[in-house]
Amino acid sequence: MARPMGPVRLKKTSTLTLALGACLCIFILCFLISSATPDFSASRKATAASHPLSPPTSPFRKSSSPGGKSKPPPVAHYNLNNVTITSNPIEHGENILILTPMARFYQGYWDNLLKLSYPHELITLGFILPKNKEGNAATTELQKQIARTQKSGPEKDRFKSIIILRQDFDPPLPSQDEGERHKMQNQKARRSAMAKARNSLLFTTLGPSTSWVLWLDADIIESPPTLIQDLALHDKPLIAANCFQRYFNTEKKKMDERPYDFNNWQDSPTAQELASKMGPDDILLEGYADMATYRALMAYMPTIDGGTDIHQEVPLDGVGGTALLVKADVHRDGAMFPAFPFYHLIETEGFAKMAKRLGWQASGLPNYKVYHYNE
Amino acid sequence: MARFQPRGTTPAIRRRRRLLVRIGLAITVCLLIGLFTWPSASIFSLYSFGLFSSGDDFQLETVRYYDLSNVQGTARGWEREERILLCVPLRDAEPHLSMFFSHLRNFTYPHHLIDLAFLVSDSKDRTLEVLSNNLEMIQADEDDLQHYGEISIIEKDFGQKVDQDVESRHGFAAQASRRKLMAQARNWLLSAALRPYHSWVYWRDVDVETAPFTILEDLMRHNKDVIVPNVWRPLPDWLGGEQPYDLNSWQESETALALADTLDEDAVIVEGYAEYATWRPHLAYLRDPYGDPDMEMEIDGVGGVSILAKAKVFRHGVHFPAFSFEKHAETEGFGKMARRMQFSVVGLPHYTIWHMYEPSVDDIKHMEQMEQEKLAREQEEKEKAEKAKKMKEQFGDTASQWEKDKSEMHNIAAKEGKKETVETTPKNKVADGQAVPVKAAGAGEPANGQTKEKAPTKDAPKAAQEKGAKKEDRKI
Repeated sequence: MARPMGPVRLKKTSTLTLALGACLCIFILCFLISSATPDFSASRKATAASHPLSPPTSPFRKSSSPGGKSKPPPVAHYNLNNVTITSNPIEHGENILILTPMARFYQGYWDNLLKLSYPHELITLGFILPKNKEGNAATTELQKQIARTQKSGPEKDRFKSIIILRQDFDPPLPSQDEGERHKMQNQKARRSAMAKARNSLLFTTLGPSTSWVLWLDADIIESPPTLIQDLALHDKPLIAANCFQRYFNTEKKKMDERPYDFNNWQDSPTAQELASKMGPDDILLEGYADMATYRALMAYMPTIDGGTDIHQEVPLDGVGGTALLVKADVHRDGAMFPAFPFYHLIETEGFAKMAKRLGWQASGLPNYKVYHYNE
Repeated sequence: MARFQPRGTTPAIRRRRRLLVRIGLAITVCLLIGLFTWPSASIFSLYSFGLFSSGDDFQLETVRYYDLSNVQGTARGWEREERILLCVPLRDAEPHLSMFFSHLRNFTYPHHLIDLAFLVSDSKDRTLEVLSNNLEMIQADEDDLQHYGEISIIEKDFGQKVDQDVESRHGFAAQASRRKLMAQARNWLLSAALRPYHSWVYWRDVDVETAPFTILEDLMRHNKDVIVPNVWRPLPDWLGGEQPYDLNSWQESETALALADTLDEDAVIVEGYAEYATWRPHLAYLRDPYGDPDMEMEIDGVGGVSILAKAKVFRHGVHFPAFSFEKHAETEGFGKMARRMQFSVVGLPHYTIWHMYEPSVDDIKHMEQMEQEKLAREQEEKEKAEKAKKMKEQFGDTASQWEKDKSEMHNIAAKEGKKETVETTPKNKVADGQAVPVKAAGAGEPANGQTKEKAPTKDAPKAAQEKGAKKEDRKI
C-alpha cells in the first residue's frame, strides 16, 4: 500500500464523469431546496396577488419570511373598462365566480363541479356556510375535498381560488329538512336569511376581475359539463337553467324526473292583483296551493313542447338561484337579493325584479336541465 | 503501472469522447443560462423546483377562510384591530387631491387597518396620475405608521353626459339621472373593494376641507350601523360666513311620504329644491355650534360626504340604489334601504365637518360685480380726491389768506388777553384743527358717504337672494 494511488485515480476521473457528477449534484440540490409539495405552474403564479390583502378571487403568495418585517401592500390598479363579458368567455379568458350557499355537503355536488369543462384556472369558488352543527360538519367535509383537489389533485382540476365564509347570523330554522324547510309560514324568514347569506357571499368575493357569476346551489348534483359555456353563449344579463329532480317513479317502475325549482316564472295578472292587495311586508310565494298565482312556471315549460331544443330562451320575471348565470355588471350596478319584501318578492325572485328596475332582463332556458339531489 | 494505457483508448475514441464532453458541457451551460433568463419557461414547469425559480420562490395560497362573525364592528374597533374600507369616488378631482392627502396622513386610526379604494371615472384631468403618485409616496414613506393596508385604484368610465361643474351638477332637472349615475359608481366601487375581512366601511368625499383627525374613532364610538356627521361649509363674509351644506341627511316627514305616493315609479325626490317641498327636519339645520357633539338624531336619508357604516350593512345587501327606491336614489336611498332592513341610521347634528366652498357661477358673477363696484368706487374716490385737490389749488389763495387773517387775529387776541393765555390758546387750536379738515374734505365727503351707503343696501337683498339660491348648489 506504499504506492501512491493518487495520480492513478486522478487520471481515471475523466471530465465526463466530472460533468455528470456536477449535474447530479445540482439535481440533488434541487431536490433538497425545493419543498416537497407540488406547486402551481408559472402562468398561474403570474396572476397571483403579492399580498394577502388582495381580492379573494386571486390566489396570493405565501410570505416566505413569517418573522420578518412585511412590506406594505402595493398600490393595485384595476381597470374595469377592460373586464370583458362576452358570449365566448373561454376565448377571452374571462373569470367566473361560482357562488354556493351551503348547508349540507353533497359529494355529488363536488364531483359535478370537478367535471365542469370550463378552464379551472379561471374559476373561483365561493361558499358560505352557517355556524351551527350542520354547518360545521359541512365545512369539514368541504375542506377535506378542497384540500384533496387543490393540494394533491392534478393541476387542471385545481380552481383558481376558493373562499369559504361562515355566516354571521344564525339560521332562522333549526333544521334543514325538506319538509320543515318548505313550510309556507317559514318561507319568509328562511328566504330572508338566505338572501342575506347570498349577499354576504356576493359582495365580499365579487372583486375587480370577475366577468360572470354563477349561482349554483349546493344540492345540484348533475349538470352538463359545459354548463358555463352553454349559459354564457346566450349573452344574457341573467340566465337560469331549469332545475329538475330524478326520482324513482313507482307507477312506471323506473327512474323518472320531475320539475323542482318553481322560482323561475313569468308574471301573471292574477299574481299582480294578489300583490296589489297585500300589505307592504307581505310576500308572494310560488308553488303553494293556498296562493294560486297562475304564473307561467319555467319548470313546466319543457313538458309542453316536448323539450328538445336546449337553446330555447324564454323571458322571465322571477328567477331561482339553483343554477343561474349572471353578468357581474348586474351585481356591480347594485342588483342584490332583497332580504325584505321588494315589490312583494324576496331573495332570488326579488333579485330578478331589482335587476329589471336597473334595466337588466332575466331569461331562462326551459329545456336546459340541471338536477337536484333527491333526499 | 503508471505508464499503463488501456487497450481501448485509441486517439479516435479519445477525440470522440472529448467531443461528447464538450457537447454535454455546452448543453448544460445553455440549459443553465436558459433557466436563469426564463425562469418561467414552460419546458421547465414540470421541473419547477425551488432553486431554479429563484425569481419567484413562493407558494400559492388558493384557499381563504373567513368567519364573518369576527367582523361585526364594535365601538372600539382600533383595539380589536378591526379593518376599515375607505371608499372615495373620484371624478376630475385633481385640484382637491392634495387637500385630501393631507387629511389621509393625519388620520389617527391605525393606518395599517385602513384599506383604501378609489374609483376614478370619466376623468379628463390628471386625477389618476396624481392619485397613484401620492399613494405610492405614502406606501414608500419611511415612517411605517403612515403605510395603509390594501390600496385599490379602480378605473371605470360610465360615459356620464352630465357635466360635473357646480351649476349643471345642481340643476333640478339633472338631479335624478345624476344621482343614479353617482349611485352606480358607488356600487361598482364597493362591490370591487369590499372584502370578507372588513368590519367597517367609510365613505368620504374628496372635497372635505376640515374634519377632525379622530373622525373615524369619533363616529365608531357610537356603535351605530350607519352614522353621519353634520356637513357645513364656510362662505365668504358677504354670504354670511357659513352655511349648512349637506341637505341629504334628514328625517322622514308625513308631507314627504304623501308626496312620494303621488309620484310615479321612477321619480326621485331630491332635497333642497322648491319643486319638492318636503318639510323634513334636516340634520344640517339643527346644528348648534356649542351643542353636545355626541348628540344623536335618528335619520332616514343620509348624505354621502362622510358616512361610516358597519360592513355588515353592505354585506347584507344594502347599497346605493341606482333606481328609484321608495322614491329615492343614491345615498338617500341607501339610508332608506338600511332602515328597511332594520339597521340603525343616525346623524350627529352638533359634530360638524366642513365641506369646501366652491363659488357657483352666480357667486363668481356676483364677486366680479363686487370687484367692479369696488374698482368703480376707488376710481370715484380718486376722482373726488383729485377734484378736491384742484379746488384747493384753485382757491389756495383764500385758504392762505384765511390763515394769515387767523394768525393776525391770534396775535391781536394774544395781545389783548395776556392774562388769559393759558385757557384761550388751546381752545383756538382745537377750533383750528376742526376747521381745516372739514373744509378740505368737504367736497368729497357727501359723495363718498353715499357710495358707502349704497353698497350695503345693494348688497343686502342680493346676499339674501344668494342665500336662498345657495340651497341649490349644495350637495343634493
